[in-house]
Amino acid sequence: MKLACVVQRFGADVTGGSERHCRVIAEHLAAHHDVTVLTSCAQDYVTWRNVYPSGASRAGPVTVLRFPVARQRNLKRFGDMSQVVFTTESSPEEQERWFVENGPEVPQLIDHLREHGAEYDRILFWTYRYYQTFFGLPLVADRAILVPTAEEDPLIWVDIIDRLFSLPIGYLFLTPEEAELVQARSLRPLPPSAVIGFGIDPVPAHVTSAQGVDLSAAGISDPFILYLGRIEPNKGCETLLEYFGRYLDSESAVTHVQLVIAGFPNMTIPSHPSIRCLGVVSDAMRETLLARARLLVVPSPFESLSIVLLEAWNQGLPALVNGRCAVLQGQVVRANGGLSYRYANEFAASLTYLLTHPDVARRLGRQGLAYIEREYRWPHVMRKVEEFLTSI
Amino acid sequence: MADDIIRVESLRRDIEHDLRDPLRRRILGRGGSPEYQDRDVFRSVDGLLRRAFDDPESYALLPEFLGPESEWRLRPDFRFSSHRRFGGPLVLFVKRRIFLPLVRWLYEYTVDNFQRQERLDTALIACIEELAIENARLRRDLERLGQRLTPAP
Repeated sequence: MKLACVVQRFGADVTGGSERHCRVIAEHLAAHHDVTVLTSCAQDYVTWRNVYPSGASRAGPVTVLRFPVARQRNLKRFGDMSQVVFTTESSPEEQERWFVENGPEVPQLIDHLREHGAEYDRILFWTYRYYQTFFGLPLVADRAILVPTAEEDPLIWVDIIDRLFSLPIGYLFLTPEEAELVQARSLRPLPPSAVIGFGIDPVPAHVTSAQGVDLSAAGISDPFILYLGRIEPNKGCETLLEYFGRYLDSESAVTHVQLVIAGFPNMTIPSHPSIRCLGVVSDAMRETLLARARLLVVPSPFESLSIVLLEAWNQGLPALVNGRCAVLQGQVVRANGGLSYRYANEFAASLTYLLTHPDVARRLGRQGLAYIEREYRWPHVMRKVEEFLTSI
Repeated sequence: MADDIIRVESLRRDIEHDLRDPLRRRILGRGGSPEYQDRDVFRSVDGLLRRAFDDPESYALLPEFLGPESEWRLRPDFRFSSHRRFGGPLVLFVKRRIFLPLVRWLYEYTVDNFQRQERLDTALIACIEELAIENARLRRDLERLGQRLTPAP
């Protein structure tokens, strides 16, 4: 089949869950199909500034067609439009305007879909929230498959979304919870769909047996709990810091436990002897942290699939997740791989339980690993994708 | 082998149970309602509040009575106009360049409080709706019981 994968940014050095999902799925699809990625020249998702050269190039097994971003995102105008669309009864025109302001505004990509869309057998669109999907998908709806990566954030409840969700001929979802959410927002019963998740390779033996990086040099000592990912309020980090602070003040707190935070910081972390913020870390450091932590904490209120949670289970690490997020709650219950919390006292009690019952915690981690073996290995994931593509 | 699996849902229920009793005793110690001496009453109230606060959006009846959203929702986007032919542009200039930035700053300064209050209001409305549902169910059961107990003429 001749396939196109449409995504807002593309590249091995591009961070972001949906971008990474698109890249690895496209690379795996290229083993059996002719795959072209249609994307912007942007590298960062805040300004959408053109960084990569426009035009055709190769990235491993896939062809990449990059289109320039017509204008960078104006954060003030985007903030104003978000206020209008998310906090008031807005008009369809205002909602459409929000997608323009959100960007990345790539009119030439839209023109390409209009003129050459029929040359592709199937066109897969990643994420429903950006310009290229909102304006591009309706032009090729008869061959469009949407990978919405939808979360329970305010955008999903905007009126104009139900029209978009009724257009594609098929859906690929990351979790059953995401499928339910999109069904609830669609005008008609969903077309054929499959829940594919994300593929995870087994941890290589040299990683599991290695001593890893010296954590004491970074001021980290056992026991510690780990947060990995972008450090920002939207990811629940503010709440995590508040709950962890309250936990440290409680009578049940385990002595000398540390919270280690690693990732790109988008907020200020208070200085505290029990909180270590490492910023962006190397792969070796990341693997060592995952191997030595007592548990991974995932405080995000909005997720369509937590890849870092899968990576933690891949190393047999139990998790403590935000139970208000239906996807995280669903993942933890299906895997029996950790505990969830909703309130500060539940966070403290669950954390104390996992730290003071290491045998149970280890077993939960192993159950998480067994879940990965069952559901998230690449051959299994790609078999589902291929079956879906041939069935529609 | 299936019996060896640790079910996280039951583990979570145990943890919640262990949390509830110390909370009940703490509230009683602070002079809370003596009805909380009864563990079952406390569990029932705890469950009601939890349902309302966990998923307030699912209680959708009462918000319907608030009327059209456009009449009560705070609109931070201002659209200025003036009917004055002379002096109108000056009035608009003052509104846009002085009044608007001031109001915007005030709005951003207070928006957290507004959002917190809105969250609390939504949850309280959900509580009222949950209590109204429970009341309606009890009244229905009472009427059925009354009909059953009334001797046939």
